[in-house]
Amino acid sequence: MRRTLCKFFMHGACLKGDHCEFSHDWQDQANNICTFYQKGVCSYGSRCRYDHVKVSRTHSSGPSFSLSPNSHPRSSSGSHQVTHTSEVPSAREHVLDPSKSIDVSTMNLIHKLPSTSVWTSNFETVTSSNDELGDHPTYLTDSDRPICSFAAAGRCPYGQSCPRLHGDLCTICGKHCLHPFRPDEREEHIKMCQKNNKHLEALKYSQEIECSVCLDRVHSKPNPAERKFGLLSECDHPFCISCIRNWRGNSPASGMDINSALRACPICRKLSYFVIPSIIWYSTKEEKQEIVDNYKAKLKSIDCKYFDFGNGTCPFGTSCFYKHAYRDGRLEEVVLRHLDAEDGNTVIAKDIRLSDFFSGLRL
Amino acid sequence: MQASRARLFKEYKEVQREKGVDPDIQLICDDSNIFKWTALIKGPSETPYEGGVFQLAFAIPEQYPLLPPQVRFLTKIFHPNVHFKTGEICLDILKNAWSPAWTLQSVCRAIIALMSHPEPDSPLNCDSGNLLRSGDVRGYRSMARMYTKLAAMPKKGAESSHTL
Repeated sequence: MRRTLCKFFMHGACLKGDHCEFSHDWQDQANNICTFYQKGVCSYGSRCRYDHVKVSRTHSSGPSFSLSPNSHPRSSSGSHQVTHTSEVPSAREHVLDPSKSIDVSTMNLIHKLPSTSVWTSNFETVTSSNDELGDHPTYLTDSDRPICSFAAAGRCPYGQSCPRLHGDLCTICGKHCLHPFRPDEREEHIKMCQKNNKHLEALKYSQEIECSVCLDRVHSKPNPAERKFGLLSECDHPFCISCIRNWRGNSPASGMDINSALRACPICRKLSYFVIPSIIWYSTKEEKQEIVDNYKAKLKSIDCKYFDFGNGTCPFGTSCFYKHAYRDGRLEEVVLRHLDAEDGNTVIAKDIRLSDFFSGLRL
Repeated sequence: MQASRARLFKEYKEVQREKGVDPDIQLICDDSNIFKWTALIKGPSETPYEGGVFQLAFAIPEQYPLLPPQVRFLTKIFHPNVHFKTGEICLDILKNAWSPAWTLQSVCRAIIALMSHPEPDSPLNCDSGNLLRSGDVRGYRSMARMYTKLAAMPKKGAESSHTL
């Protein structure tokens, strides 16, 4: 049943790792259907991050996990109607499969008992389902036991009496989310945490940096899309991506020479032939190289619109940053014609015309 | 348009904050139009312009800082790279070597530097340029000094129009 992409994994926060019942494979589709909308009311309305679509019979075999294939299409007229659907008895009787039932029965409990808070009703379900799990085979090893997500998120209201394992403290994010018996997962989490931490630090450092064209901090631009640096390939002076692009795109009619003024860094006048957009500013040469490499790799995966799968010609030729591939996926083969002169000089020939040969003739 | 306004406002605030940091330059923004500025610069020492106060007029294009500001001398000055009648300045950074990293303040500094280092090989004032090119430094200096005294210095007894 590993077809639906795990929502927690999507946000980089699934504590279950290999033991998760949802898929951790980016190839799989995420279930992006709002469960509250299905029940009639979603308090987020149009701001909801999940899709507000009606799940009909045709969708029932789809990615939605909590909907059984025989569930009736629900009406949105009232939330109490939900409790009368065919799903309720099955949900409350077959509590043996915890992964499936907890979710559904909790949902129903919330709607049935509006006076009790979500928190307590959730707890009751968890404990009751655990109680009824008497004949369910207990977890074979410690590593199979899931860890408590309340404790991981901050504080578990049940403390010592919590039926689940409480994770160890991760010193980086400060959460009890390290599984004591799954070393691989711990390592992965710590690695991810360190990466996130590094990114945050870099972001914090980037906040302070000013663009020398607009004299504003790059990250405090009014338009969020403009809060990006434009890195120059040959020097280390910071600019907003929009400012540096505007400057380089300045028309030569303004009197400025393309090669000596416009392509030069406004501060040090070093010529750079391309600009790399980046959210964060770098502090070391290696970090800059990484940003440049990532950018180039990203462009290399996009088909060049000039090359147009072989139908057009790209003026940038072999130095184009975009992908030059034919429709069948075959990459363009680069053929360079070398012209060797008598004096040993080699010239790489492009677009040879007949007139080129005449000019060298001595008659 | 919006970008140039924002940038000029930044420069205005910077000028207000750094008042007095550079005693040779005083930048004043027009009360009603942020695209019109005036600057008062002191003639650099050890030049014939020493002791004079020169007024510059800035007209800033809407595409600023992608295009350079148009600057001219309002005070008459005898200098090889300044047009004697119009006050137009021949300076590469105001033409093809402009960079958006320059500010009005730094343009003023560049003009002061030009006053102490005239470039007679690209003259706008041929008389002045020819004097220097023919090696008549003394002639150039005395002419420049005379015009500084006539135009850029408060007249004896008269109330000074420039306060710097």
